[in-house]
Amino acid sequence: MAESSERVRNTLVVRKPCYGLPTGCPQCLAAYLYLKLAQVPFAVDYHLNYPDSDKIPYFEAGDYVAYDNEKGGLIESLKKDVVDIDLGLSSLADWTPMKVMLTTWLADALAYELWVGGDSSSAYNIYYSGLPWPIGKFLFWKQAHLLKLQYGVTKDNAEVKEEEIYSRANSAYDALSTFLGGQNYFFENRPSSLDAIFLAHALVVLQALPETSVLRTKLLEHADLVRYLQKCKTELIDADPSPSSDPPFPSDASSSASRAHSNWSKIFSGPWFKA
Amino acid sequence: MAESSERVRNTLVVRKPCYGLPTGCPQCLAAYLYLKLAQVPFAVDYHLNYPDSDKIPYFEAGDYVAYDNEKGGLIESLKKDVVDIDLGLSSLADWTPMKVMLTTWLADALAYELWVGGDSSSAYNIYYSGLPWPIGKFLFWKQAHLLKLQYGVTKDNAEVKEEEIYSRANSAYDALSTFLGGQNYFFENRPSSLDAIFLAHALVVLQALPETSVLRTKLLEHADLVRYLQKCKTELIDADPSPSSDPPFPSDASSSASRAHSNWSSKPKTRKPKREKTKEEKTFRRRAKFFLVAQAVAVLLFLTHISGRYEAEAELDDDYEGSGYDD
Repeated sequence: MAESSERVRNTLVVRKPCYGLPTGCPQCLAAYLYLKLAQVPFAVDYHLNYPDSDKIPYFEAGDYVAYDNEKGGLIESLKKDVVDIDLGLSSLADWTPMKVMLTTWLADALAYELWVGGDSSSAYNIYYSGLPWPIGKFLFWKQAHLLKLQYGVTKDNAEVKEEEIYSRANSAYDALSTFLGGQNYFFENRPSSLDAIFLAHALVVLQALPETSVLRTKLLEHADLVRYLQKCKTELIDADPSPSSDPPFPSDASSSASRAHSNWSKIFSGPWFKA
Repeated sequence: MAESSERVRNTLVVRKPCYGLPTGCPQCLAAYLYLKLAQVPFAVDYHLNYPDSDKIPYFEAGDYVAYDNEKGGLIESLKKDVVDIDLGLSSLADWTPMKVMLTTWLADALAYELWVGGDSSSAYNIYYSGLPWPIGKFLFWKQAHLLKLQYGVTKDNAEVKEEEIYSRANSAYDALSTFLGGQNYFFENRPSSLDAIFLAHALVVLQALPETSVLRTKLLEHADLVRYLQKCKTELIDADPSPSSDPPFPSDASSSASRAHSNWSSKPKTRKPKREKTKEEKTFRRRAKFFLVAQAVAVLLFLTHISGRYEAEAELDDDYEGSGYDD
């Protein structure tokens, strides 16, 4: 069990921060936001070696350690061993279908955008920027190749598949928007792990992808979701920008500065907000 | 546009029937059930060549043809061009999440069971039974290999992955059961394409998989779903067993007869870790035995033939020392 006493320090180890986010990787950010929503005090540490490792994110507290590649993911371990904010929610009829949609259609769309469909700079900044260039290039290619295999993307059907991936993401955003309505959270107006998962996905889409990204554009068209994202970002990320000492990274000055500002949150009044 | 006049005949082309179902393949069965739920009259035809083709199922009506590998699947084309029974449903908040769950976690579990986790006989009967044995074997292996890649199954994590796949399927069945409750259909108590998709999945699970299948056992534990399946099967399949003339297939007598009844019984058994290998070994031993028997028969025939010749020659030639020879 993890105790938040001074003898035992809860530490979440994640990939490096970028694009104005405490960590640029959606899986790491989801675990980060889960702990924030659960109001568990924790420090953040950064793992610089083996960025390709599927153990990251992981959580340590004294002798206890939980890796992301165990037992269905880090959040499941946190629910089991630290605190479960989903009590009473996972038996709702909508819960599993929503979870599946977030972890398949939406996760696939973001992975596609990072490694296959868009330019590669976002993926490089999030996952490979600490590595020598040839190694980063190889790891990027390896992941892109694996994803094309999993999605069944070939040279012949690339356009059709891309269309399908974006269309599915848009349907998912439609469903989430309808489901959220005017609530503060998706389920029973209280925070859950699915809020953490969607928030992580959406914040990476909005802040790490270029403005030309189709996925980003589609997300911005859903006003209810944008409102929800603005509110949660203010409460969970902007309110407490550095939970630990400043990380020793050269800031991705040009890329993160231009996107770190919540200029996507000003679209309500901006000229490019489409009602 | 497809018209159901007598000049234009709607035809759904599917994989062969088996296990007491009009077609054994879940994608084909889903399209079949969609047309049934939509009350569109149609004939059924069977495609025997290229069973590996992802064009099947396809739908023809006069000049119009829609293949399954176009535009998001055959059902989407039918909704667009023939009749859409989902009107008003697809904008519901639950619709897309449910559809995703059916087409990912549940579809993956059945595919896993057919090609990776269970014995291979169900997949063979559904997809490859018309083909010469080596070709069927190759196509089966190819699909199994692709699925293991997609699911990230390796020798090290096979057990963990399998556990995860079954656990996800069970969560999906739980959610569907809660969602269905006491209704006759999943959405607003009226039939939809998601009913067709789930029915197809579940009927194949119940009738094509062996009683020892974990997936089948988990489905049978959900009483609400079983009740729904029995009712729909009676209305949509048993009520109209052969929509066209009897298909010219040898019936899979032993397998289909025992599973065609709606009293789906379950015999959960602890699965042995190397079942698939044992099954393959059995097949190999059976073939080897047959080969040896054939050899023995050939040898016996040859010896009989030779002894016959000797006797004939002995009769003809009186100079031989004796009628007998050393046995």
